[in-house]
Formats: sequence, structure tokens, C-alpha cells
Amino acid sequence: MEPAISLTRLRKTFGTTVAVEAMDLVVPRGALYGVIGPNGAGKTTCIRMIMSILFQDSGDLSILGHRSALEAKDRIGYLPEERGVYRKMKVGAFLIYMARLKGVAAADAEARVPKMLEEIGLPGVADKRCEDLSKGMLQRVQFVGAIIHQPDLLILDEPFSGQDPVSVRMLRDRILQEHRRGATVLLSTHVMANAEEMCQHVVMIHQGRKVLDEPMAGLRRQFDPRTIHFEPLDAAADCSPLRTIPGVEAVEGVDGTYRITLRPGTDPSAIMGRFAAAVPPARIELARMRLEDVFIRMVAGGDQGDRALRASLQAQGEGALA
Amino acid sequence: MISPNRVGLIAAREFQAAVMNKGFVIGLLIMPLMVGIIAVVFPRVMSNRAQGVRGEVAIVDPTGQVSAALHDALSPEAIKRRRVESATRALENVPAPVRDAATSNAAMERAIGVPPELTILDRPAGTDVQREKSWLTSVPAAGSLNHLALIVVQPDAVVPAAGTTVYGGYELYVPQNLDDRIEGELYDAIRDSLVSARIRAHNLDRSQVEAVMRVRRPTSVTVTAGTERRTNVAFNRALPWVFAGLLVFGVMIGGQTLLTQTVEEKSNRVVEVLLSAVSPMELMAGKILGQMGVSMLVLGLYIAMGLFMLVSFAMFGLLDPLLLVYLILFFLISYLLFAAIFAAIGAAVNEMREAQSLMTPVMLALMAPWLFASVIGREPNSTFSIAMSFIPPVNTFAMMIRLATNTPPPTWQVLLTLVVGIAAAWVATWFAAKVFKVGLLMHGKAPDFGTLVRWARQA
Repeated sequence: MEPAISLTRLRKTFGTTVAVEAMDLVVPRGALYGVIGPNGAGKTTCIRMIMSILFQDSGDLSILGHRSALEAKDRIGYLPEERGVYRKMKVGAFLIYMARLKGVAAADAEARVPKMLEEIGLPGVADKRCEDLSKGMLQRVQFVGAIIHQPDLLILDEPFSGQDPVSVRMLRDRILQEHRRGATVLLSTHVMANAEEMCQHVVMIHQGRKVLDEPMAGLRRQFDPRTIHFEPLDAAADCSPLRTIPGVEAVEGVDGTYRITLRPGTDPSAIMGRFAAAVPPARIELARMRLEDVFIRMVAGGDQGDRALRASLQAQGEGALA
Repeated sequence: MISPNRVGLIAAREFQAAVMNKGFVIGLLIMPLMVGIIAVVFPRVMSNRAQGVRGEVAIVDPTGQVSAALHDALSPEAIKRRRVESATRALENVPAPVRDAATSNAAMERAIGVPPELTILDRPAGTDVQREKSWLTSVPAAGSLNHLALIVVQPDAVVPAAGTTVYGGYELYVPQNLDDRIEGELYDAIRDSLVSARIRAHNLDRSQVEAVMRVRRPTSVTVTAGTERRTNVAFNRALPWVFAGLLVFGVMIGGQTLLTQTVEEKSNRVVEVLLSAVSPMELMAGKILGQMGVSMLVLGLYIAMGLFMLVSFAMFGLLDPLLLVYLILFFLISYLLFAAIFAAIGAAVNEMREAQSLMTPVMLALMAPWLFASVIGREPNSTFSIAMSFIPPVNTFAMMIRLATNTPPPTWQVLLTLVVGIAAAWVATWFAAKVFKVGLLMHGKAPDFGTLVRWARQA
């Protein structure tokens, strides 16, 4: 089956600014992809080109098998980063209007609206004017607007921005529900923890270029945990024996906590027992891989970037590092 | 590529959003309300002005033949009679139902108002005019009457000096701020008195002389192929203005709302949500059609109101129904042209304040028809009028004014105006579509016309 989204060498400039450069991306049907990157990285420009709201200077794209999203608009749900509503319109009328623009029959749209509002934690707001809702509530209304026509492809630009933790959870569950229904989901976020929790696959964009395109599982494997946080039981204990244990590359101590880096290929589970035997620990734990760290390492630039990841990217021919 | 279904949905929402609010209803009522105020309230205020004026008028009459007649002519009854005569004369050309309404007792009373009460003071023939002038400016004692005027009749005013046939006249001196209606009464009364005195001096009968002088002026009859109807000068003069006004007003109503709603959609960021469901072209087409519905609704109501008035005043026959067909055609063309420009401006700017500078030339173009309506109305087939009929965007307005005059233009010119208008509307829509597509998602520095042209080239 054709991928849901396929971008080939996409490029977009605004005047002299290059917003997106040499962007290749394939999102298979039914996948849940996260696009991450700092503000201004080119995520929104990329998504707008996918949506045919902006048009690329060069390169090709295919959306749900069409040359343009315009030909498949009714099958795509889109929550833009800059989202608005008609302030004077009632919530129910607004959602029905959006559904009908997406080709849903009037009767179906009217039936779906109250049900979906209830699912998202907004029962009974259908008769309220949009201007009477809080910003967070409106964002959930807009999310309903993006999924009301049960799209095959759901594109969400920063869906969690401005939401309280309870709403974030509610939205995340609803997105996963759409994914289980069979929708392909592409979401962008600059809060990497969100992507880390939900996505099967992450794409990192930095300064308009893709710097990472990996399944989460593979990423976890590649960034094999080689850092161990160690805190001795007795703060005054001598921790120099840790350096002598085979497999240890470096030990750095800051404020009574030690950060131990292992040599590549060392088995962390075996070595942790030997640390405990050498110095009695108050806490000993494997540092969890965080996308943020990966990202910072990727974009720190030059030789400080992770060599293993670099090699892996080059081998796959996925793109060059800036 | 453009889905009529989606365009229809957008148009319906636009129409609903524009019509279903208090502002629209108020705006709809404002024009008839203003006409009503001018027609009903103004005359009352005006006629009350002269109410209850009392004062003294001094006369120096060396002939001794004018003063007596002036006493009669300035009596309240005589003033009232003259006012009735002049009101009746003014209403001669007005259609019968209006005349009947206006000459009803109550309406006449209102129009005539309360005549002034003037006391005439006769001064002896040799009176010092300079001293009388200072009487005019002196402040009267408390409780006594105001000094309103001094009339000095010349010695040869009734009988010409020996050897000439030229009559003398009179001088009129008045204080500052005398009500002009009182002055008018004085002129009329003195003229009447002098004429009576002169006729008497010739031993003639005044009623005979007046009968000899009187020739009734008929109302002309307009003859067209097959029909004849009473020419109505006022109606003919007003018609081009009315039609030009309807055209401008119709374009303004829809165009303005289109602009404000587009700016609002852009500034509150609803536009990107919409663009995920519809193409920019569909959005623009839907918006333009929706507001066109609003304009047509308002125009329809005003036309219906106008026709109702024509029918109730039995003047329906005066209106050529073909004019209404032209009005609709020209409205559609001008609306499309201006609406496209309004939509482009709305999509280009970030807020209404920025729209002002771009709007100025557009508003000038819309107001231009008012500036030359009278020129074209008076000489509908002059070179200027003909040239204006082919220069967009004013061509439709110019042709509408020409069509509404007594000497309509040749058919080929009307057709050419239509063709030019349609072409201009097409070009404007094409340009607007490009600007709309680029502008909607552009936020930042306020654009000028150069920016719009650059966007149109880009898209």
C-alpha cells in the first residue's frame, strides 16, 4: 500500500530565508509519527506544505496517494498551530459547519457533535458561543473539528500547547484512540517528552533540515544506556575504586552524585552489581534516554554529535547533518 | 476543482453571519429613517422659525400713495394669502396624491406657519432719513415692539419724473439679523403696493391688468413610441441620482462586510482551519457570493420600498422597468469588481487599521460617481459622459446614470459598457484570487499596493 505521506527533496524558501531544505520523509499508513524540533525549525512550514496551504519551491509530495492534499481534503484532519474560531458562532454550529465542509452529511454531523464534545470533556457546550469558552476549552473544540469527519490521516501541529496536564492526558488518549481506529497520525511538538511517550517513530528537524528519522524502539537501542547515576550511601566515601572497574570509561562527580560513562559494549546490568560491591550506594540507576538529550547532542554540531548515530544515518542515506 | 457544495456552504454561513445581527438591522433602517427625518421633521422645524414675530416697520412715503396700500399688504391676512398662493404654485408640478396631501388644511397650516404681526408707522414726507436709521438700531424700551425695518419710497416711484418712462423705486433699511422670511414678506408687500398705486395712477383696473398678464404654464407631456405620459420634472431629475445611489450603496454594503469579515478571519486565525477544508478560491468565491446575497437583499428591500411608493403615488408608469434590469446587471458587475478588491485587501492586511490606506483609492473610485452624476445627468451624451461609460471601475455607474436620463444612450454603447465591465471584473477577480491565496497566511508588516502586485506575480 502507498504510504500516507511521502516527501521527496522538498524545499521552501521565504525570500532569502531557507525554511525547509532537502526534506525526505515517508510516513506509512497507520503509523504514529512525531515531528520534533525547536521553534522555528521548519515543522509548521513542512506541515503546511503537506496540507497544500503553502506550496514547495521544488521537490515532490504524495498524500494518501494523491499529488496534493487538496485532492484528499475530506480524508485529512488538520489542527493548525495557529487556530481560531468564529467568536460569535455557537460551538455546535461551528463544528457542524467544519464537518459539512469536510463532506459529512448534515444529519451525521449533528449526531456526532454532542457525542464527541462529551468524549473530550466538554459536555453541554454546543449551545455556547465560542467567545464564552476558555482558551484551553476552545483548543479541544478545535481538535474535535479536526477529527469529526473520521479522517484517514490526522495532522496535528502542536496539539498540546497551552493545555493543562489533565487536558493533555485527555487529548493524548483521544489521539491514540484515533490511531487505533486506523488513522495515520503525524504530530509536531517542541515538547519532546510528549513525542517520547506517544510516538512510534520520531523525525527531528533543525534549521529546516531533517537530522533524525528513527523508530523510537531503534532509537532506544542505538542510544544504549551507557550512563549510570551513582550516589554513595556515605557522602564522604572514597569513590575512586569505581574508576578501576573494567568497562568504565569515565567518572565525573558533582555535588556528591557521580555520573559514570561505560565503554561501548559493556553490559550495564552486570557492572551495576560490581559498583554496589565497591562502594555502598544510596542510589544507583541507569540514565533513561531522553529525546531532548538526543536532540541536543544531534544539533550541538560538529564532532560533539554522537558518532554512532551519525554513522547510522549515513548508512541509511537518510540525510546529512547540518 | 472548485466544489459548488463547499462554496455554497461558505456563502450560506457568510450570509447568515452578516444578516443575523443587530448591526445589520440597524444599518438597514438607517437610510429610510434619515429620509423620513428629512421629510417629516425638517419642515416642522423650519416653519416654526418664523412663529410669532412682532415688530414695527417705519415708512417714509413722499408720494402719499403707497403707505395705505402697504398697511393692507402687510396685514396678517394678506401675508397668509400670499403664502398660500406661493405654496400652491410650488406644488403645481407635484403628482396629484402628493399635492392633495400637502394642500390639506393641516399641512397647509404647517407650511404657512404663523404670519408676523407688523405695525406700520407713517413718517412725514420730509423726515430726516439719517435719524430714522438710528431709530432702527436703537434698542426699544422694555415691553415695546422691536424695530424691524425702514422703507423710504422714492418720489418718482408711482409717477415717473417728467420726460422719462422709468419709475423710481424704494430703499429698504433693516437691522442686523432680521429674519430673511420677514424681509421677503416686505419685498412682496411693497412690490404689490407699488404696482397697485401705479395702476391706479393710470386709471386702470388692477384685476383686468392681472388677467391680461396671466398665461397658464402647462405640464409638458412626454411622448414615446406608443405611450404618452405627463412629464415629471422632479422625478426625471432625481432618477439618475437614485439609481447611481442604489448602485453605490449596494456595492458598499456587501463590500464593507466582506472586508471586515476577511480581516477578522485572518486576525483570529480561523483561516488556516478553513484552508484545511477548502481551497483559497473556494473560500473567496463563497465569501463574495455570500455578501452578494446580503447586498441583493438590501437592494431588493429598497427597490421594493421605492416601487411601493411609486404605486401609492400613482407614478408607477413613470419608471421604465428595463432600468431595473440594468440596475441588477450593473450591480452584479460592479459588485464583483469591488468585492474582489475588498477581499484581496482583507486577506492582505493584519488588522482593519492597516486596511485604511489601501482602501482610500478604492473608496474614491466608489465615490467618483457622486462627483460627476450631475454632469452626466445633465449632458448624458457629451464626450465626457461617453468616455466615462467605458472606463472601469466607474463605467457601470456612468452608464446607469445615462440610462436613467431622458436621452438614453445608443444600444451599442450599453453593450460595450457591459463587456468592459465584465472584463474588468474578471481581471479584478483573477488578481484578487492570487493576492488572497498568498496574503491569507502572511502576517507581519502592513502591505502596500506594490506588495499586492508582487504577491499576484508570485502566486
